[in-house]
Amino acid sequence: MVGVSSTPRWGWAVVGGAFLQAGLVFGGLRALGLCLGALGGSFGAQAGAVAWVGSAAIASLQLGGPLGSALSTRYGARPIVMAGGFLAGMGFLLGAFATRLSHLYLSVGLLAGLGWALVFTPSLGAVSRYFPTRRAMATGLAMAGASVVGLALGPLIPLLLDTYGWRGSLLLLAALSFNLMVAGALLRPLDVPNESPRPLPPHSQAGLCELLRHGPFLRYALAFVLVDAGYYVPHVHGPARAQEVGCDEHHAGLVMAVTAVADGIGRVVAGLLAARPTASLLRHLFAWSVLTGLALLLLPLGTTFGGLTALALAYGFCAGAIVPLQFTGVAEVVGAGRLLHAIGLMQMFESIGSLLGAPFAGWLRDLTGDFKVSFLAAGAFLLAGSLLILTLPSFFRTPRSDGSAVEGVPDSVSKGLELPSVPLSPSN
Amino acid sequence: MTTTWDANHTQENALTQLQPGLKSSPEPITTSETVSQTTWGSISDHLTLGHDVSTPGPDLTTSDFNEDINLNKSQPLYVEYEVLLPGKTGNSTEKNIFLGSAVKIELSCRLADNYSMKILRVTWKKGNETIKHINKTENSWSIQLTISENWNLGSYTCTMKGEEEFRVVFHLQVPQIEGREKPVISYEGDSAILICKSHSYTPIAWTWYMTNGSEQIAINDSLMLDKYVIDKADPNVTHLKILKLTKEDDGAYWCEAAFELGRSKGKLKLSILSLMVPLKPFLAIVAEVVILITIAFVFELYSKKKEKHAEDEKELDQIEQLKSEDSNGVENTSARHRKV
Repeated sequence: MVGVSSTPRWGWAVVGGAFLQAGLVFGGLRALGLCLGALGGSFGAQAGAVAWVGSAAIASLQLGGPLGSALSTRYGARPIVMAGGFLAGMGFLLGAFATRLSHLYLSVGLLAGLGWALVFTPSLGAVSRYFPTRRAMATGLAMAGASVVGLALGPLIPLLLDTYGWRGSLLLLAALSFNLMVAGALLRPLDVPNESPRPLPPHSQAGLCELLRHGPFLRYALAFVLVDAGYYVPHVHGPARAQEVGCDEHHAGLVMAVTAVADGIGRVVAGLLAARPTASLLRHLFAWSVLTGLALLLLPLGTTFGGLTALALAYGFCAGAIVPLQFTGVAEVVGAGRLLHAIGLMQMFESIGSLLGAPFAGWLRDLTGDFKVSFLAAGAFLLAGSLLILTLPSFFRTPRSDGSAVEGVPDSVSKGLELPSVPLSPSN
Repeated sequence: MTTTWDANHTQENALTQLQPGLKSSPEPITTSETVSQTTWGSISDHLTLGHDVSTPGPDLTTSDFNEDINLNKSQPLYVEYEVLLPGKTGNSTEKNIFLGSAVKIELSCRLADNYSMKILRVTWKKGNETIKHINKTENSWSIQLTISENWNLGSYTCTMKGEEEFRVVFHLQVPQIEGREKPVISYEGDSAILICKSHSYTPIAWTWYMTNGSEQIAINDSLMLDKYVIDKADPNVTHLKILKLTKEDDGAYWCEAAFELGRSKGKLKLSILSLMVPLKPFLAIVAEVVILITIAFVFELYSKKKEKHAEDEKELDQIEQLKSEDSNGVENTSARHRKV
């Protein structure tokens, strides 16, 4: 029998699988962006229209979140992640043979994004299952995969593009995306003893619908809509800002690479810091998002390569720190049993922020002439989101080691929060 | 990224300190070049100073900068270029000047005020030909030229001989068109687009050439409508779209921009691949995926079998134990529980 408090040895393989999928999903997204840039007017389309392919992929990824959690709740993470990996690979494969821009929207945009949605949320759920007491650490390690692979792809994709053109590159990215199925294969189902066997019929929708009426969860999701609105601005507009202050292409790339490294380290460090059983994930999350917001507010001050790099480093580290805490902190809000559904639903809400944030910043830049106001707005969004986290009831409570919270203030509301320790989710 | 050049460099000049009569070569003096432009002639002309981003011509020293003028073609403007000496890089300075259309131009060499040197002679030459008509003001020597034909372009040299010899070369040329170093990759059956731009100067016309062996052949898109399409929408940019690519379309292409004062070419390379090329690594990676998944599942089956085997052994051991306890006649009403 597997004990809840001990981590089965296989847990580390699951983290490895999750590391791989984070790398391939977010790395794939990044690679897609670079390949789109190389289309070079092949379909007679403007750069703006082409960029929407990337947005379609992000939208699919995040809007499909609830689907990923619902399906993996019912069927287990492994088959769903493997199916998602297959879809993502097929999306890229079909995209390689596109003859029209609309083909790209559907293949690399919608299909690949959907595949990623089926991969991402269930993988995080699997990691949570294997590490009930050290969720944040395991999630941080897993999400660091995105930084590592993203960094490696930076020089690799241009090389691919120069050798194989964009079609060939999409073909090879398809093959790489099929490795998501390998990641899925590693996600062995785990029986968690304190869960009842799957009731028939489980209606996973019930879990999702309940969450929609859960006040604190909605505030948490809204907080991350705001956070996402600001979070991606440096990632999207970073190179342009670097060039605005006088860096050439090479130095701009360096700033971005440095930020990515800091991001990856931040993910791991934050996860480790929050791994202690007495750590309050929400308080850590609050702290890191405030710091990220402040870093964003200070970013406009970076007007030399050195200054910008230093501030970008600070931003990257803090922004990375938010990641594992975002996905595990939600357990403190809705309880460990509903974690999977919560992540999926939260992703869906986040899409509003992430899709609108960067274009809004771009619009501000066009309005004011440079990126200063854009970064200030992004920082403001982040701080607003942080304040919302402050309003969560779990914020002021001391957490127990299994992720649920000790009630310092006895009230009926908190009871409602602790309810789902008997979850609807079956073996995952 | 555009390099903003500002005309206020002259301030630096005040820092130059040279003792009069100092004979040895001066230490690195921060000198600056001033360029002043005056519009002269018809007032309706607009002089727009662009900042040219294209690479300078070959073999030129680091103190190059590019000045360019976009003008209304019908009325030539008057432009002045002045180089302040001594120059930054030793005694020889070169300047690229790109002219999109006809101008009247004044080139001058000026000696810095703090620099006193006995000037023996200042000569202006185009190539080897000496230019006779030099305007001299107190410290500067200039020539005025009307550049309206292709042969007016070239290298104009100002040589200042005194205790030392300074040389400034002005390269008057048509704007350069940048091609692409890296080949454009495309596949058989696909179509490719080759793009040439000339933003700072607007050409009169564009022509595309393909290379056949060592010859350059002009591409006439009206003759071969289903193969070549040339986009003429924007006069500063030209697109050559080649359809139904085959291996024979592989090679070098040239885009030529015709300006008032001459022509300029940029080179692009098109590389046609067959789908087999990326297919091989694709299949290799897919094979790797299949192998890894198989290993993962096989490993899982194997470890499950081991677990089951270990459990079976445990059960067998327990049965043995019970049997031996039974046969020993030990009463164990309470021992009837199985240890799991």
